[in-house]
Amino acid sequence: MNVLFVEDEAKIANFVRAGLKEQGFVVDYCDNGDEGYLRAIDNEYDAIILDIMVPGKDGLSILKQLRREGRNAPVILLTARNELDDRLAGLNLGADDYIAKPFFVEELAARIHAVVRRSGGDRQNLLTVGSIKLDRITREVTCNQRAIELTSREFNLLEYLMRSPGRVFTRTQILEHIWGYDFNPNTNVVDVCIQRIRKKIEPIDETNWIESIRGVGYRFRKPENPS
Amino acid sequence: MKHLRSFRLRIALLSAALAGTTLVGFGAISWFQIYNAKISRLDSELLNQLLRANRPPELGKEPPRPEFLPAGLGTNTKMPFALLVLNAEGKTVYEFNSLSADTEVKNLLVKRLELAPAPPDIPRQRRPVIFGTNQPGQPPPRPTPPQFFTEHTAKETWRIGALKFPNSQVAVAVSLQPVNQEMASIRYIFLVLIPGALLLVAAGAWFVSGGALRPIHELTDVIQRVTVQGLDQRIPTETTDLEFVELIQVFNQMLERLERSFTQASRFSADAAHELKTPLTILQGELERSLQQVEPGSDVQQRLSNLLDEVHRLSTIMRKLLLLSLADAGKMGLYLVDVNMSELLWEMIEDVELLAPQLNLQTDIPDNLRVKGDRDLLMQVLQNLLSNAIKYNFADGWIKIHAHQTQKTLKITVTNSSKDILPSDRDRLFERFYRGDPARTRKVEGIGLGLSLAREIVRAHRGELALDSVTSGQTGFTLTLPSASS
Repeated sequence: MNVLFVEDEAKIANFVRAGLKEQGFVVDYCDNGDEGYLRAIDNEYDAIILDIMVPGKDGLSILKQLRREGRNAPVILLTARNELDDRLAGLNLGADDYIAKPFFVEELAARIHAVVRRSGGDRQNLLTVGSIKLDRITREVTCNQRAIELTSREFNLLEYLMRSPGRVFTRTQILEHIWGYDFNPNTNVVDVCIQRIRKKIEPIDETNWIESIRGVGYRFRKPENPS
Repeated sequence: MKHLRSFRLRIALLSAALAGTTLVGFGAISWFQIYNAKISRLDSELLNQLLRANRPPELGKEPPRPEFLPAGLGTNTKMPFALLVLNAEGKTVYEFNSLSADTEVKNLLVKRLELAPAPPDIPRQRRPVIFGTNQPGQPPPRPTPPQFFTEHTAKETWRIGALKFPNSQVAVAVSLQPVNQEMASIRYIFLVLIPGALLLVAAGAWFVSGGALRPIHELTDVIQRVTVQGLDQRIPTETTDLEFVELIQVFNQMLERLERSFTQASRFSADAAHELKTPLTILQGELERSLQQVEPGSDVQQRLSNLLDEVHRLSTIMRKLLLLSLADAGKMGLYLVDVNMSELLWEMIEDVELLAPQLNLQTDIPDNLRVKGDRDLLMQVLQNLLSNAIKYNFADGWIKIHAHQTQKTLKITVTNSSKDILPSDRDRLFERFYRGDPARTRKVEGIGLGLSLAREIVRAHRGELALDSVTSGQTGFTLTLPSASS
């Protein structure tokens, strides 16, 4: 997937670019608004990630101009500000999503997928890793063609892990993504939830799809022969 | 004593006391002056009487009857009167007492006559000299003017004078009763007038001081309106008395400083939180990236994961502080949508069952409870209440969740079995960074911002979050929100 990333903070740009590349994105990066705008009109991107406060044309102006010119590439705004007025201004100008700092690259990637999917650019509503198939629309999960009943938390957790097979997630990351940020980090809710999912998969497929990483968290196993 | 703390009452009482002292002093002095004037007039009249009485009675005629006296004294009252005329040998020539019952007075008169100084020597011509008749050439020798005394008998107070003449001795007594009566009536007039005047002065001072205190009341009104959101209040000085202008100016300046420092403080935490976001994002991102690059399960990865958790904790605190500073400034932004609280509650309850399967969970949640609110923030409030209910519970305790919606409000009560909260902790539970005793030992995780933030969020929704009244062995919180329809 081809994305444009406009951000002036070099250190943020570094890990976001690296993180997105690891997730299979092709990232086109620039550090100022004027150049960002020119690139946005010269190329067809699947998604554009704009920091609001960049030198030159700011993020909101770029967005406004793009929308005025009829360019409908999904735009995600990225900013340190998270006040309602900013959120509303961005969304009213036609932004597809809004992500506030600090954020995990993982979440940014998920949001890119979501906006691209909504805009019709991503037909992959079906996630398949090894023997497990997960339908984001119908929220059905099958393992070796047998349906698995998951609660909404279990479904969201499985989807989160399956979206990046092989990637390690800490418990806190999982907590924040699935449960919101107010849960006590020392809670064992993640472990309990993972145990439940495992117990539902094990009778059908003995592969340990969700691996525990000692002292860190979990990751979804990468299949040896990706399907 | 407490009433005397009223400035206005004190002014009134002080004015009355001041006026009272002046009036009483003035009254007392006037009273004595009038009394003295009356007595000296009486004395000179008595002297006249003494001189007249010395005239020897003409044959068959009695000495002048004393009825004229009152006229001479300028009073209409008949003054009781006693007269005693003795000849040179001390034999009674004439005796009169208008109060025949009072016999004591005669003794007084005799006593005074005995004490009276001797008469002057009689000139050679042995002609009797009659006082009061002008005999040219040789004025008769005048006796020493008598002294007058006030004496008391059982019934009366008398003014007595006695004079010895060469041929006779005269003593006269007049009752002071009418004078005393007059003085008493003057005293009564003063007794009525002075308190009346004092009441008038006090009432006047009360009204005048009320008027003078009006600017203070205006000041009080404005101070009452000063809240965190009303620091921009100022009192106009144009219509105020000069004496209060300075006070009001100083007060206005104080408000200005307060407003400035409050805005600064609230902007400071907001700015600080904003500024922290970029380095935190970088830390979080770089740590996360490194975490993926090292050997899975290695020590380095564990350390990185711990660091990532700490960064996460830091950003959670920062996010809460930012929300609190926005709430303080009255600018907590709410992204209002129609929220189905029943669904939200069931979602949370699923977590409670995951987190604490040993707890007995009882729910009473009707379907389709709706409010207009910020879904994320309300979720945070519920999460806070439920995670507290788990944290501060007994190992085999219980949690009850009860929700009830009326036309106007939605009430959600979360109650759990727990140790009793100390009364001193109950009041401070919603304070920032405050953690009750069990939490302070760090056995239970948390930073003590949850409840205060939850309350601010609920207040921003025009609702209220309150600790339920004490019931032994349990703790309950009631969340009240306005219903979507209201």
